[in-house]
Amino acid sequence: MSTTVATRGRAATRTAAPLGRLLAAELRWVLRRPRTLVVFGLLALVPIAIAIGIATTGGPSAGRGPGLVAQVAGNGFVLPVVALGLSLTLLLPLAVASAGADAIAGEAATGTLRGLLIAPVGRLRLVVMKAAGVVTVAVLAVLVVAVVGMIAGTVVVGGAQGTLVTLSGTTLGVGEAIGRIALVAAWTVGQLLAIGAVALAISTLTEHPLVVLACVLGGLIVFGVLSAIPSLEWLQPLLLTTGFTAGTDVLRDPLPLDGLVSSTVRALVYVVLGLGVTLWRMRRRDA
Amino acid sequence: MTAAPGTLDVVPSPEEPRTATPAPAARVRGLRTTFGRVVAVDGVDLELPSGAVVGMLGPNGSGKTTLIRMLLGLTRPTAGHVELLGRTGDDLAAALPDVGALVEGPGFHPFLSGRDNLLRAAATEPRLEGDLRAPVDAALERVGLSDAARRRYRGYSLGMKQRLGLAAALLVPRRLVVLDEPTNGLDPAGTRDVRRVIAELHDAGTTVLLSSHLLAEVEAVCTHVAVLQRGSLLVSGELSGLLDAGAGELVVTTDDPTTALDAVRVAGAGPYLRDGGLVVPAGPLEPPEVVAALVRAGVGVWEVHRRRAHLEELFARLTEEDA
Repeated sequence: MSTTVATRGRAATRTAAPLGRLLAAELRWVLRRPRTLVVFGLLALVPIAIAIGIATTGGPSAGRGPGLVAQVAGNGFVLPVVALGLSLTLLLPLAVASAGADAIAGEAATGTLRGLLIAPVGRLRLVVMKAAGVVTVAVLAVLVVAVVGMIAGTVVVGGAQGTLVTLSGTTLGVGEAIGRIALVAAWTVGQLLAIGAVALAISTLTEHPLVVLACVLGGLIVFGVLSAIPSLEWLQPLLLTTGFTAGTDVLRDPLPLDGLVSSTVRALVYVVLGLGVTLWRMRRRDA
Repeated sequence: MTAAPGTLDVVPSPEEPRTATPAPAARVRGLRTTFGRVVAVDGVDLELPSGAVVGMLGPNGSGKTTLIRMLLGLTRPTAGHVELLGRTGDDLAAALPDVGALVEGPGFHPFLSGRDNLLRAAATEPRLEGDLRAPVDAALERVGLSDAARRRYRGYSLGMKQRLGLAAALLVPRRLVVLDEPTNGLDPAGTRDVRRVIAELHDAGTTVLLSSHLLAEVEAVCTHVAVLQRGSLLVSGELSGLLDAGAGELVVTTDDPTTALDAVRVAGAGPYLRDGGLVVPAGPLEPPEVVAALVRAGVGVWEVHRRRAHLEELFARLTEEDA
């Protein structure tokens, strides 16, 4: 019997499947999920839409030379930065929140969480596996926007001899420009991980993935409203959204780091809190 | 199995010494679970003897699934003790690689094919190593799903979903297989397949816990039964013992039913007439005493036979008595 062959060796005594195999299975599952692919597709449209916008407003029909955005931006390397900034307000959080929602609440809703716990995937390993899935979605989502943005920027707006004209008026070489884009991409991933960790935490508290989506996106909107109320200014340092504008700092020269650093630290605090709640909850959660 | 006549007191007390029998596959003691103010399981003591096929019966909401969930560590008992393949407490999960389960219906992802769903489940099985496709295909074959293996789970019929759930429980050779209403939604052929699988497991020495509300199913495949009612265990034990002790009424054919009725009544039983025959419910009188009473009264006895009860009667009596 083939199954007896399979249980020979270490497998006969171990009490958990190898972590590598669990991670591979999780990533395969995340990346084959239709809604993940749909969100990636939508994200790819963001830089393309911006590029089209720039190209059409930049046409000679306006009679005032190149379009405003194109003039400020100077060249296509600005496009991925703008696209990431725009997506960070809603679409990127949506991608990560939906990954977090499916990770635990979604599995509970389809009855598959039970199977994972009975297998057994240890509860700690389960959190590791699920967090890896969310991180993967965050990284890939940002990569889609950044890479498509660079391509669309180069094709539509033009590379301007491979330089980046900063908001401060200086010009950066190709290497520096790509470095700046990588920096804003990494920073965006950091902000998304904060959202992902919170989504995972909420995901452990419900078996309705929609609740997770509603809480995360609703929370971001509430944060936005709170930050617009002058008398609540003291709240600003606590709100994740406060630092969301720091991404465009990479377009300045010299590069101001304080906004990027403080928003990343804030994101880390959210990551720690989110993962803490997730771990605490998954130790006892019924499935 | 010792049983006082006329009572159903055949529940083996947990302290009863069980010499020369291997350790039970699972054992629960004083198990109690409450969800808010609802008591789902209340003081259950139950043993699954190693190698037995235990049928767990009970009306809807009697606590069958909750009991199974506690056995598998999915729900924490409010009080009491669970032992699974010799593991208890925080160590309970160490027994799970050798336990296969289909609980509360099959759970799979609709956008994956049945086979891909099983491959994902196989990746989480500690006992599997190397190529996962072989055990997955073997399990699919075993439940008769090979032909539909590459179709999306979304399009599966209820019976096919149930078969896939069974396949997941059979991915690895198990020491204990827990099946929670496995024939839900299955056609007669599917029901036969499930019975065949249970019989195969039994032959291989696997302990099976089968929760069901289909009495005929339990009677057909189980060696032991446990009956739950409103969270309490009414009775448990070997099926044959329970049926003998439970409702083994005597049917006596005589040449003078009326005299016979009086004679047996005087002797201390509560007989009645049915279709011209005398029926003596299992009770204070053993068969020889009934016959002796009839002979003393001068009644000619043509035939005496003890009617073996069906599980259905036992179940109905148990659950109604208590209602």
